[in-house]
Amino acid sequence: MLTPVTLADYLPIAVMLVLAAGFVAVTLVASRLVRPDNPTPEKLAPYESGILPEHEPSQRFPVKFYLVAMLFVIFDVEIIFYFAYAVIWTDLGWYGVAAMLLFTFFVAETLAYVWKRGALDWNVHQRRRYIDREAA
Amino acid sequence: MVAPGWYMALAAALFLVGALGLLIRRNALVMFMCIELMLNAVNLTLVAAGRALNDINGQVAVFFILVVAAAEVVVGLAIIVSIFRLRSTASVDELSEMKG
Amino acid sequence: MNFEVDYLALAPELVVVGTILLVLALDLVLPRPRKYWTATVAVAGTALALLPLAAMAIEGTTRSMFDGSFVVDQFALVLKGLFLIAGYVVFLMSHHYIESDRYYQGEYYLLLLASILGSLVMSSARDLIVLFVGIELTTGPLYMLAGWRKGDVKSNEASMKYFILGVLSTAILLYGMSLLFGLTGEVTFAGIAEATAGRAGEPLLTMAVLFMIVGFGFKVSAVPFHFWAPDTYEGAPTPVTAYLSVNSKAAGFVAMLLVLYLAVPDLSQVWAPALWVLAALSMTLGNLSAIRQNNIVRLLAYSSIAQAGFMMVPFAAAAVAGADLEEAFSATVIYMVIYAVMNLGAFAAVIAGARTTQSGEIPAWAGLGRADPRIGVLVLIFFFSLAGIPPLAGWFAKFVMFRSVIIAGGTATVVLAIIAALNAVVSYYYYARVVKTVWMDPATTDLQVQEPAGSLRLALGVAVVLTVLIGLYPAATTFVTEASKVLATGG
Repeated sequence: MLTPVTLADYLPIAVMLVLAAGFVAVTLVASRLVRPDNPTPEKLAPYESGILPEHEPSQRFPVKFYLVAMLFVIFDVEIIFYFAYAVIWTDLGWYGVAAMLLFTFFVAETLAYVWKRGALDWNVHQRRRYIDREAA
Repeated sequence: MVAPGWYMALAAALFLVGALGLLIRRNALVMFMCIELMLNAVNLTLVAAGRALNDINGQVAVFFILVVAAAEVVVGLAIIVSIFRLRSTASVDELSEMKG
Repeated sequence: MNFEVDYLALAPELVVVGTILLVLALDLVLPRPRKYWTATVAVAGTALALLPLAAMAIEGTTRSMFDGSFVVDQFALVLKGLFLIAGYVVFLMSHHYIESDRYYQGEYYLLLLASILGSLVMSSARDLIVLFVGIELTTGPLYMLAGWRKGDVKSNEASMKYFILGVLSTAILLYGMSLLFGLTGEVTFAGIAEATAGRAGEPLLTMAVLFMIVGFGFKVSAVPFHFWAPDTYEGAPTPVTAYLSVNSKAAGFVAMLLVLYLAVPDLSQVWAPALWVLAALSMTLGNLSAIRQNNIVRLLAYSSIAQAGFMMVPFAAAAVAGADLEEAFSATVIYMVIYAVMNLGAFAAVIAGARTTQSGEIPAWAGLGRADPRIGVLVLIFFFSLAGIPPLAGWFAKFVMFRSVIIAGGTATVVLAIIAALNAVVSYYYYARVVKTVWMDPATTDLQVQEPAGSLRLALGVAVVLTVLIGLYPAATTFVTEASKVLATGG
């Protein structure tokens, strides 16, 4: 059971939020009052000299990491269904065990699929070889 | 005890932030994060409502939403990877082959 | 607690699940030249799933499971039959198309089967959680299928647009559902209907219902939530487009009708005007945009947006007029079934025709009728049926729609009927234009006739027989009406 919490308990946090916001506001206003204000088109440009950027620079995109992240997310979240089972496993008996084994089998089959497709190979060149071999 | 209304308000704010972000940002990855924010606002609403009503169904719904959301993120990332291989950009503005 | 599971009631879903696992295993084991077995297994599994449906239809009892969350009644059986048969036809259409592409085959069938499984679950859903899981399982695989041609920028764009708007709609829909749960404390439709009775006018309930309508509006691509549809339809592989415009749209419709009709019937003063506006806008904007299209798949995309508007008309009209929803419900369902048949046919004819013309642009289709009269006649049948010209099936769909509107009565209803009638006339123009190009215009290039593959011929045959049969003998759809009434009366 949670200990009852009242909104009053959050008062220190609220005070801190107000102080933080106040500090930012004071700093911004003070620096605006003190500094000279003389904008020119050159000064407002992102770079004062050189070519204007037209679109975002293309970034290096490491596909490997994304692949691992995707697989991790999906297999990680599947486990959530074991939690529900863990809570009432005594009530479910062998029926529950069978059901969870079936569920595990489904997950395992997809894992086997991912493995065989080569998605778990860290070295992408190996994976490409695998696909070429299959295509041949 | 914090009244459930506050959780609902927080969830509504999260949902709004997610929706605005989705409309404003143009990077596909950031757009995914905004969608996740919206889905988590839904989860917060469900959990808060479920606890206030003492009804387990709210949490059951969250289970399924979490799993579906994870699956959808994976699909989305797969689509981004596929686009990156052709385009090397994640800006949705660059994607405008078809009009009309 | 009750863990009793009625395995016969779950049999269609279980067969599809088994097929999915088998296709996945086969895809792993088989060498590439023999991957076509995955297609055979997928088609056989879909057909096999129809057997328990037939058994339950003959027996005729309503089966309810999991405290009424999963119900198999006549209505669910009709819808499951529709989804399975439509899926079967799409498999037939895909077979040659996918094989001639250089991309993976096994996954294609796997994903389509998963989507069919989702729509089967959704037809039986009688609570918010099951409905949500069903509808997401229906659309999730389609995001990937829309981007199936990985090397093609258009296909990637189709998939991206569909994904972002699809997930956005899911989030909005879910937020509506979570509010509804918070306000009523119920997840089953029956419980929500009880809890919301007489609570019309509560601001938060109104908001919850509107959120859900927006979410469903995206799923069925109703105007003004239709922006993704034309681009996704054009970029996706054509069989996937056929599936999107039939199964996925029908699934969205069923979900919307189930929620509005079973869960929040007492809030009709909130959702009825919203549906009215959606119907009027979808018909008008869909038809007007379709006139300007030169790509045949884009034309069908806008046509399907307009048809979605027509589908909403009976339900919206009856709800606005405060009339009995029973008649309107069955009219909408009948329209949906007939639309599914003729639209699948139209897409099959487009796939077959495009093999000869080598183009999706309508002017390139000139002279097809003379070069290949059989495809020409099929294009004529399906497009005239979509326009609603007797004696083809589309005529009966429009007839049922207008009849239910007249039964409903009332000023707002008559206005909607006039909008629908004007739109029906506009739609003749662009459907007839395609037929005119195919038959009347002289060929611009020398057309090399390509015979459609055997499976595609079977798909065309099924669609054309059903289109002509329903048109000549509309009583063939009586069972749909009866089944809808089962749901309407709660039997």
